[in-house]
Amino acid sequence: MYLRGCLVRLAAVSALALMSAGARADKTLYESMGGEPALRTAVEHFADLVQTDDRINFTFAEADMSKFKKLIFEQLCNLSGGPCKYTGRDMRTSHVKLNINNAEFNALAEDLYIALDRAGIPYRLQNKLMALLAPMQHDIVTK
Amino acid sequence: MKSPLSIAAFDVGGPDQSRTADRAAPRAPWLGQRLHLMLVAFVLSDVLCVHAALAQRAPYESVLMPDSGKLPLTAGFNEVDGVGGAGLVPWALITGYGTADSWGANAHYTAVQLRDFRLRSYGAAVGALDRIEVSATADKFDVTGTALNGLNVSQHIYGLKVRVFGDAVYDQDSWVPQTAVGVEYKKNSGIGNGAAVGLPGLVSPTQLGALSDSGTDWYVSATKVYLAQSLLVNAVLRYTKANEFGLLGFGGDRSGNRSVEFETTIAYILTRKFAVGAEYRDKPHNLKVDDERAAWDVFAAWTASRNVSIVGAYVSLGSILAPVTKQSRDQHGAYLSLQVGF
Repeated sequence: MYLRGCLVRLAAVSALALMSAGARADKTLYESMGGEPALRTAVEHFADLVQTDDRINFTFAEADMSKFKKLIFEQLCNLSGGPCKYTGRDMRTSHVKLNINNAEFNALAEDLYIALDRAGIPYRLQNKLMALLAPMQHDIVTK
Repeated sequence: MKSPLSIAAFDVGGPDQSRTADRAAPRAPWLGQRLHLMLVAFVLSDVLCVHAALAQRAPYESVLMPDSGKLPLTAGFNEVDGVGGAGLVPWALITGYGTADSWGANAHYTAVQLRDFRLRSYGAAVGALDRIEVSATADKFDVTGTALNGLNVSQHIYGLKVRVFGDAVYDQDSWVPQTAVGVEYKKNSGIGNGAAVGLPGLVSPTQLGALSDSGTDWYVSATKVYLAQSLLVNAVLRYTKANEFGLLGFGGDRSGNRSVEFETTIAYILTRKFAVGAEYRDKPHNLKVDDERAAWDVFAAWTASRNVSIVGAYVSLGSILAPVTKQSRDQHGAYLSLQVGF
């Protein structure tokens, strides 16, 4: 009986969560995250983080960081439904020479989470963005 | 950047030590043995220290070097059978923070205090190549109330799990869950302190009606992280004849055959390091002396770092030995598990 009560409550909470998610569906993820200002801030933090992260900074040793920031912004904006076009190369071509392994891919993802945190983007929305980025593991990790 | 110092120290340190051991071996076998042990300890400690300092890549890195490369929380925890999962239910995730390029491991200590029973469990699990997991766990179950107060029973569980396909985290563009098959060999070491209840001859669950004191569980586990929803969903089918996880033996006077049991976990990921969830685990009902029921829990799991995790839960194991103890109430209480690893 107790369990049944719990399950009913759980179902009710889930239904409420889904309904409230539906109510926001007209807004793009880009807008929910705070649009250009929030994403530009996140990208700045991200660039700082990857350059000081011993696990991956050597892959940025010869990178043009202003170009990196521009492309990452375009990509995150485009993926999240913002009014941007991604002008960089595809993920496989741009990473194949770097010989990225799984730990490095995950370190990058972790830095992006932290950068999104610092830009004040809620974790729930961070995950929505990450859900769009996660499948890129198949193209980026080539080691 | 890379830390050439620690890598150099590791590379040079190994061979030097082994040369010392080789030279010493002919002089006195016990000395050689001791040096060998020291060498093993040295290499192990080196691997463990170096892996922490050296998460960065070296061009000559090997799969032997733990990479601690998974994202926080994605190593899972050690459930009650010692297998990578949450509290009661195994996941298809491979334990430890090693990625597909490396390996990881976890040691765990779990204490469960129910109304009239206490379970303590400790063990270790190793995950390699994000593909294979092996685990060993010891359970000790004490009766702390009822007419059976003082009795105890213990068992050992050896697990093997293999990820068959899918990636629970990366495959966000596919409906396919990460799927693993597993086997758990459980050996009940018997009942202790029967004298406490005036039954000094009571030494084995087979005297309570169980058919065997050892058994094998087979299971399939499918785990999917719905990242956009911050949800983890996990389902397991287990082919088992274990009574109360094996603590009361295997098979029984009600049914001697294995049955297929369903288990599930649903967790909501609140932050990168903190999740809450609920689990449900069906169990067989093979013994006349035990009105065995499903177990369930609600849990909170916190990964303080890739090296330390804590799971706390409110757990119910249903009624245990109720016809004997005359306590039909649900056995519920607190579950606390500490995991240390990489």
